Amino acid sequence: MTQTARADARVRFVPGQPDMWAFVLFETLVFTSYFVVYLLFRTQHHELYLRAQAGLDLQIGVFNTICLLSSSWAVARCVQASRHGAYRSALTNAFLTVFFGFVFLVSKVLEWARQIRMGNGFTANEFFQHYFFLTSIHCLHLLIGFVVMGVVVYQLLSPKRRSQELVETGATYWHTVDFLWVLIFSLLYVVR
Amino acid sequence: MSSRFIWHCRNNPKRELWFAWWATVVFYNFFTVSFFILSHTQPPANPALDAQGAAQWFEKNHYGILLGFAIMFLVTGMTAPQNALIAYSMRRMSITPAFGYSYLVLYSLSAVPGMLLLCIVLTVGALRPDRKPELQQWLFDLAFLSYVGTMGVFLIGSLVWMLAILIDKNRVFPKWFGYLNLCNALTEVVVSPAWIFHNGVFAWNGLIAWWIDMVVFGVYTGVFITLLRQMIIREDFGTGPLPDLPREAAS
Repeated sequence: MTQTARADARVRFVPGQPDMWAFVLFETLVFTSYFVVYLLFRTQHHELYLRAQAGLDLQIGVFNTICLLSSSWAVARCVQASRHGAYRSALTNAFLTVFFGFVFLVSKVLEWARQIRMGNGFTANEFFQHYFFLTSIHCLHLLIGFVVMGVVVYQLLSPKRRSQELVETGATYWHTVDFLWVLIFSLLYVVR
Repeated sequence: MSSRFIWHCRNNPKRELWFAWWATVVFYNFFTVSFFILSHTQPPANPALDAQGAAQWFEKNHYGILLGFAIMFLVTGMTAPQNALIAYSMRRMSITPAFGYSYLVLYSLSAVPGMLLLCIVLTVGALRPDRKPELQQWLFDLAFLSYVGTMGVFLIGSLVWMLAILIDKNRVFPKWFGYLNLCNALTEVVVSPAWIFHNGVFAWNGLIAWWIDMVVFGVYTGVFITLLRQMIIREDFGTGPLPDLPREAAS
C-alpha cells in the first residue's frame, strides 16, 4: 500500500514516468556538451563558420521547426484527449504527431542531399561536420521517437491497456526531440 | 575477519554472485591502470601521426604496452563472470530468457574488436620494433580504429538490456537505468566518424568522438556496477518481484 501511495505521489509530481525525466536530463547534458564544443570551435574560426553557414537555407530550418512544434502540439493534444478518455481523438493526434515527424524527416533528408550536391558534405569543412553530426544524431532520436509513438498508439488501441503513464512518458520523449531541435536550429541556422 | 570471509565463502548462498560482482570491479580497476596509465592508449594516441610518428610512438610506449597488455591478457577472462552476472540479472526478470542469452553472446563477441584486438595488435607492434615504419603505422591504425571505431558493436547489447529493463515486471532495475542504456547506446553511434577524420572533434581522440563518450561510458559503468550490487543484496532467489533494498544496506 505504502509503495502504491508513493508511486501515485511520484506520478502526480511529473507527467509520465519520472524515470523518463532522468533520461531528458541526461540527454540534455550530453547535447549541451556537443553545443559547447560547437560554440568553442565556432569562436575560434568565426569567419569560416559564418561563410559556411551562409550555405544553409534558413527557410528550411524554419519549416523544420514548424513541423516539430506542430508535432509537439499534436502529442500534447493526444495526452489531453487520453486524460479525458477521448481515445479516438488521442489516436488521431498520435498519428498526426508521427505525420509531422515524418514530414520533418523527409525535409531533412532532402536538405542533406541538396547540401551534398552543393559540395557541402560531411567532410567539406568544420561547420558542416557539426551540421551533419548534430542533425543526424537528432534524426536518430526522431527515429526512436517513431518507435515510442508506436508504443503510445499500441497503448491507446485497446481498452485492456491504455496506460496514461506510458502515453505521457512517450509524449515527454517526443517533446525532448522537439526541444533539442529548437536548440540545434538556433545554433546552426540562426546564431551569427 | 579472515574467519568471517571463509565462513561466507563456504556458506553464503550468494557467494557466486558476489564473486562475479567483485570480478567486475577488479577487472575495471586493472583496465583503467593498463589503458590509462601503463600503455597510454586512453586517451588514444594522435590519429594524425605519420609512419615515423607511429613507429616512434611504439618505441616510446614499448614497456608500457608490454606490461599493460600482459595484465589485460591475464584478466580479460574476468569479463566472463561480469557478462554472466548481467545475463543473470535478465534471467531474474519477468521476461523471456532469450534476452539474457542474446546479451551474453553479443558482449562476448564485442570484446574481440572492442578491446582484445587492440591489445594483440599493439603488442605485435611493440615486440617487432625493427619493422618498416609504414607497417607499424598500419598496426597503429588497425588497433585504434578497431578499439574506438567499433564501439557500435556494443550498441545492440545495450539496447537488449534496455528493452529487458523496460518490460520487466520484477523491478530488478529502475526504469531510468533502462533509459540510461539508451543514452549509452546513442553515444556509441557517435564514434563512427572516427573512421573518416584524422583530426578534430570527430577523430578517434576527439572531444566528441572520444572524451564525451568516455564520460558517458564512465557514468554508465559506475551506475551499473552499483545497481548490480544492489540487485545481489535484494536477491531472494524467488521468481516474483525483487524485494526493496533493506534499510541498513541502503544507508
